[in-house]
Amino acid sequence: MTARSLRQARHSARFAAWLTAYMVALVAWPAALHAQHLLVPMDDAQTDHLKAYGVTYHTIKNGLPAEWLLNYRGGSFLLADEPDVRRRAQLAGVAFEPVNGGAMTRIRGEIAAGNMDAVPLEKAPRVAIYKPPQSPPWDDAVTIALEYAGIEYTTVWDEEVVRGDLSKYDWLHLHHEDFTGQLNKLYISYRDAPWFIQQRNENLALARKLGYADIPGLKKTVAEGIRQFVERGGFLFAMCGATETLELAIAGHDVDIAQPYADGSPMAPNADQRMDWNRAMAFQNAHVEPSPFINSMSDIDGHQVNVPGRRQPLGTFTLFGFSAKFDPVATMLVQDHRSVLPDFYGVTTSFTKGVLKPGVTVLAFEEGAPWVKYIHGDYGKGSWTYLGGHDPEDPQHNIGSAPTDLALHPNSPGYRLILNNVLFPAAKKKPLKT
Amino acid sequence: MRSRSRVACGAPAAAARAAALALAVAVVPSASSAQDTALGQASALETAGTLREAAAAYREAVREGAVSSGVLGLERVYAELGWTDSLLPALDSLIRAHPHDETLRTVQLRSLQRAGREPEARAAWERWTRRDATDPMPYRQYARILLDAGRTAAADSVLRAAQGALGSGRQVALELAQLRATMGLWAASAQSWREALDAAPYLDQATIYALRPAPDSARAAIRRALAAPPVAPGARRALATLSLLWGDPAGGWAAIRDLPPTDSSAAVWVEFGDRAAESQAWLVARDAYVAALAHHQSPEIAARGAAAALAGGDAASALAIVERALERALERTGQGSEGGEGGELLTVHVRALSALGRPADAERVVRRAGALPPDASAVAERELALAWARAGDLPAARQALQRAGADPQDEAYGWLALYAGDLATARRLLRYTDEQSPEALAARALLVRTRVDSAPKVGEAFLLLARGDRRAAAGRFAEAATLIPDAAPALIATAARLQAEGGDLASAAAHWGAILERWPAAPEAAEADLAWARALRAAGDTAAATQRLEHLILTYPQSALVPQARRELDLARPSVGRPQH
Repeated sequence: MTARSLRQARHSARFAAWLTAYMVALVAWPAALHAQHLLVPMDDAQTDHLKAYGVTYHTIKNGLPAEWLLNYRGGSFLLADEPDVRRRAQLAGVAFEPVNGGAMTRIRGEIAAGNMDAVPLEKAPRVAIYKPPQSPPWDDAVTIALEYAGIEYTTVWDEEVVRGDLSKYDWLHLHHEDFTGQLNKLYISYRDAPWFIQQRNENLALARKLGYADIPGLKKTVAEGIRQFVERGGFLFAMCGATETLELAIAGHDVDIAQPYADGSPMAPNADQRMDWNRAMAFQNAHVEPSPFINSMSDIDGHQVNVPGRRQPLGTFTLFGFSAKFDPVATMLVQDHRSVLPDFYGVTTSFTKGVLKPGVTVLAFEEGAPWVKYIHGDYGKGSWTYLGGHDPEDPQHNIGSAPTDLALHPNSPGYRLILNNVLFPAAKKKPLKT
Repeated sequence: MRSRSRVACGAPAAAARAAALALAVAVVPSASSAQDTALGQASALETAGTLREAAAAYREAVREGAVSSGVLGLERVYAELGWTDSLLPALDSLIRAHPHDETLRTVQLRSLQRAGREPEARAAWERWTRRDATDPMPYRQYARILLDAGRTAAADSVLRAAQGALGSGRQVALELAQLRATMGLWAASAQSWREALDAAPYLDQATIYALRPAPDSARAAIRRALAAPPVAPGARRALATLSLLWGDPAGGWAAIRDLPPTDSSAAVWVEFGDRAAESQAWLVARDAYVAALAHHQSPEIAARGAAAALAGGDAASALAIVERALERALERTGQGSEGGEGGELLTVHVRALSALGRPADAERVVRRAGALPPDASAVAERELALAWARAGDLPAARQALQRAGADPQDEAYGWLALYAGDLATARRLLRYTDEQSPEALAARALLVRTRVDSAPKVGEAFLLLARGDRRAAAGRFAEAATLIPDAAPALIATAARLQAEGGDLASAAAHWGAILERWPAAPEAAEADLAWARALRAAGDTAAATQRLEHLILTYPQSALVPQARRELDLARPSVGRPQH
């Protein structure tokens, strides 16, 4: 071969290599711009954990594919790479990473090999929040979280529940409403406060409008409506005082457990013995507080924040780890970028271990304490989840406290627990109990 | 198990301590120096954190006769050591020996409450009330303890008992006020605070602290209670401060403006003026200072009043305040203003005349003032120079600065250079100015954006701005943009800002739109989006504001303004909840 032909051959080879590289780049270039998926990391790389739930919710709502990568980078979301999804994430300040085929294969391999799982999210749940018509949005941590994340919801109150409207929703949230009808015993301290008088008058007027003599009578019917909602397949999430009072109202359906200032008659003297805990979802054998002057409903709450002699200090609670592949529901409910969280008070702050029913799944506990913080269970065809406390970012919450501004807490691990509950009904996989 | 053994071991020790204290009751107090020594030692030991030794020393102090101080020390130290229970038997003995000692009885109630022995605390309180049915102290002390413990209902019953026993709530007004605020009974709480302030004016801060959290809906009732006739100075003063804190400075001034004209009222007005000025409620501050001046002339207060008027954009009233102060000084001292005008008053006088476009009068004022301290003279001459500059006479301005002996590197020369369009000199002299006014910021922003050294049109624009003709200044900035291409977006942005501040949203929007269209990569582009969105939102056009904010976030994701835009987007967005009710 002559030197010239050698140069020509080298030139041809260089050209072929260049051409190949060019063709590869040409094919790869659009992929770099538009990957197949967007990974929304939920570890410390995430800039706004709470709004990430809103972006995921809207992806599902718009009929686009989404997956929840349980235990992968703090419980990340894998969303379709569509312009609208990118736009929404960018507007919300939610960090995302485009993922192409190769990277996706690596992620799936990692998930398959560890205590992780990918759960498809299919249908945006229809969310209802049980709250009085005139209550401000900042009175309830779930409302605050949904507003911040941009997840749509509808508010319902007694009339809608009595009418049977809960069947329109997949997911119901209760906060600190008192289902025993005693208005959280605030009568003891606030009987002369104008807002309390107004609240009581409005509740009483509604009870009478719906044919009940008093507030406790109405609330028992409402509690029964909620119990049936869960029994028929609904998802219930409750916080604060609603957890305890709902159970008391259900178990005390046929017992007078209200104080005279609520219904005009004293509490049944043998109320404890007459409670039917078989009807309840989470608790059994709790003792109802008999004194009208003690601001406590029962011994379900471990912290008793409003009873000075019994009040327990706040500590920290730890989230349990679950098997993602065999117990996806519990795993979903504890997805977080922190596993130890500071505790926070509420009308009901925690749940005494001794009154939990045998099948209850404890999701979070306080080391060495006789109470737990976060529990879950199945009931009929549905399920319920209870989280003690009022507001994860306002540990001491007092009446009249300034509202929590989640723009100051976009990475709140406590609020993530609330939003886990909103999304988990969207999961396709049927729960498998370990 | 550990806690059990502690109780078992602790009981004899507690008995011994109680016995030691009980013995102390019988001892006649010795010399006061000995008491001081024992107490002093105890206090030093407590400060050093050696609590057991401090407890022994306090017991010794009690034995030597320093009963109240010693028991208070023991209360603190025992609480730290977890021995509060041990104090109680000793207190019983001490109270038997000193039945009228309020401190002992109060410590007893506190200790019983802290130990969770509430029925015994109530019994102790009842015993105290039986000693003298007309003494308010048992009610006051026990109610405070219960309030501190969050026992609102129990405190309520104690105070109701006080009202029955004492014939009215006046002697427990403070506790009633605190209780009612806790219960959300804001109007009633305000009424009680008013009564408490009548008796103890020093409670004004406590009043403000308690009533400040009242919701908007309760504030009118609080105002009525505190402002009701007859005029109660303490209540009015508290209302004035509360109104300032609630963002209503005019309401605050209304609360105190009709106080009787006394020295103490004048002091209240000055104090309120200072607070209003801190809140940048300039004209309210001016009114308060003027009221104080009507009662008591003071060049210093006059200077503050005139400065507030100037900051509020009312140069005419600033001048009137200064002239009135000078007249009063003349009446009082027989001296003309030339000799009597202090530095601060002179400066604000010149600034007022300058703002009114009267530099020649300002010059006369400075010359009349005569000999001033060097610093005051330099400031006055500098203000005079700026007055001439604002009037458009730059040579006269330079002369004034030369007369003042100003350093050639003085930033005042920088401003004169800027007004003359000499951007090179202005850039050099204004580089390190620490002035934070919008004009200074605009000047600095422009000077770092352009390499142009001379731009008379820009000088005219800043001069018009200095004269207060913002509309014409905006026009000149926009014109200058065509001449200085490298700073065009900055100049247009300044024009838009001035137009928006003047209420000309249409012109401002046209300029913001031009920045976004013609200079989308300029740093002012994101700023234009945000400013435009804010103006739209303020005008009630939330949808258009949202569009602008989204444009900013999506187009300029790296901009430092994006977090602010996201925040405003959240605020602009309507609620995602809908009622089914």
